[in-house]
Amino acid sequence: MAKPNKILGIPRRNFYGIIVFALILSTIPVLLRFNTYYVYLATDIILIASLVAAWNIIGGYAGQLDLAASAYMALGAVVTGNLLALYGITPWIGIPIGVLIALSVAVAVGYPTFRFGIKEVWYALLTSALVVILSRIYWLIYGSAETYLPTYQWSWFYLRFSRYEPFYYMLVVMLAIVLWTNYRIRHSKLGYYLNAIREDELAAEALGIDVRKYKLYALMIYATLASIIGGIYVCITGVVGYRNFDPWLGITTAVMGIVGGLGSVEGAVMSAMILRTLEDYLRGTIGAQYPGSHLLVYGIILILVGVLKPEGLASLIDYVKKKIPWLRS
Amino acid sequence: MPKTILKVVDVVKRFGGIIAVNHMSMEVYENEILGLIGPNGAGKTTLFNCITGVYRPEEGEIYFMEEKITGLPPHVIIQKGIARTWQKVRPFKKLTVLDTVSVGALLRTPDVDKAREKAMNILEFVGIEKEKWNRLGTEITLIEHKLIDLARALATEPKLLLLDEVAAGLRPHEMDRLAKVLLKIRDEKKITMIVVEHVMRFVMGLSDRIVVMHQGRKIAEGLPQQVASNPKVIEAYLGTKPL
Repeated sequence: MAKPNKILGIPRRNFYGIIVFALILSTIPVLLRFNTYYVYLATDIILIASLVAAWNIIGGYAGQLDLAASAYMALGAVVTGNLLALYGITPWIGIPIGVLIALSVAVAVGYPTFRFGIKEVWYALLTSALVVILSRIYWLIYGSAETYLPTYQWSWFYLRFSRYEPFYYMLVVMLAIVLWTNYRIRHSKLGYYLNAIREDELAAEALGIDVRKYKLYALMIYATLASIIGGIYVCITGVVGYRNFDPWLGITTAVMGIVGGLGSVEGAVMSAMILRTLEDYLRGTIGAQYPGSHLLVYGIILILVGVLKPEGLASLIDYVKKKIPWLRS
Repeated sequence: MPKTILKVVDVVKRFGGIIAVNHMSMEVYENEILGLIGPNGAGKTTLFNCITGVYRPEEGEIYFMEEKITGLPPHVIIQKGIARTWQKVRPFKKLTVLDTVSVGALLRTPDVDKAREKAMNILEFVGIEKEKWNRLGTEITLIEHKLIDLARALATEPKLLLLDEVAAGLRPHEMDRLAKVLLKIRDEKKITMIVVEHVMRFVMGLSDRIVVMHQGRKIAEGLPQQVASNPKVIEAYLGTKPL
């Protein structure tokens, strides 16, 4: 049965929105005149945006305060990186293996967590501990030394390049995939159920929703996306080590998702792009004179958003949508 | 002889040293509206929670359509056909009215578009106007909340519906509106209902039979007029005049 109002399982508006957005993003390296530093920054921004958009699935839709985005991303990174550096295995195989490892960890941690009804603050503590624990385990196995990926000037097979542009476009595609996943979930039974779980777990259960099962689905999808992003990330940086497991990134990902407005993937992407750009700008200006001061300003901005507009950037987006009814999805 | 749809047998529920439900037994017949009344603290909501799987009773059994359901988790019980509404309305604040009811409909209809259609039909049935369907959970009135809670429960196609103090906080004309919808549910959808209530006017006029609970036990049972003039009931409700 043909559904004319949906393409690839998501509403037309969202589908075209993703295409247009991707096309706009594609022009950025050209506008930046292929300046190496700026293209690197742009690549990093797209990467963070993808990560936060993936986080939206567990944080925005399912409403779980997950601080372990960097754990799943790092798992993808270290598995892909080590397989390439130590065994010469191409990331095209390494990344899927990284996904399997990340999924195993997600299920191993997520199943008992949700089974015992751990949520809210305790879930946040558990997930932030997960990053640190994985970091320590890695350090115990591989020590503090860092492994370097082999350099290739221009290899699609080994995903190593001497420039950042190929990575930039790969990540634009990745961002499109993550956005598509978000929209697909939002308009599916999983999305409706996750929203219900976020709003009121008890009422959700009384409506036949197996809360634990659906939370775990959300966690698995998000972990998969994060680990793929990590696999791409390690090919960009070329370094594998225990430092890949960065607790700070786990926290900032969640913060960006919250500032964007829980449940709004558009807000999440906007927030990630703005905050990441701001962070780099501050680090380069104030942060250069007074080291660490950019973190202070960053923190103040976040507090202001939390106090003045807790609904996040999503409320701003809604305001714009109301003024332009054609944009409504 | 009417068919029994729910059988509560000697159920006991304790919270530490407090016995909330104290060897409670009762039967509910198909297609009736059973009023469950009793003073505050009598154990009515606790009994509801035992039936719907929120609590696990320490002793006793509960049978739904001859099947033992004691101790099953809530999401399994609703699959079997028991739905409930809540004492304090539990709306999904950031979801629209239509989305909220659709969540209920998704239980039996996994296709999202069909579930939304079903939700629209039910919203019409309970009397929520189309204009309200896109309002958020934070933007609707109390009586509408209650009707939406009701619609959400109905969307799961229950055979037994448990209503916990659904008339609380409503004005007389709103109560009438609600009562009409409940009678419609019994007559048109053939759903059995247990109505826990404090508002006598509402429950007495609506119920086919009444069960009275006090301190965790059943102290009276019968037709509304019989129960209203029962001295034990009056005593439990110290100060209430017989109707």
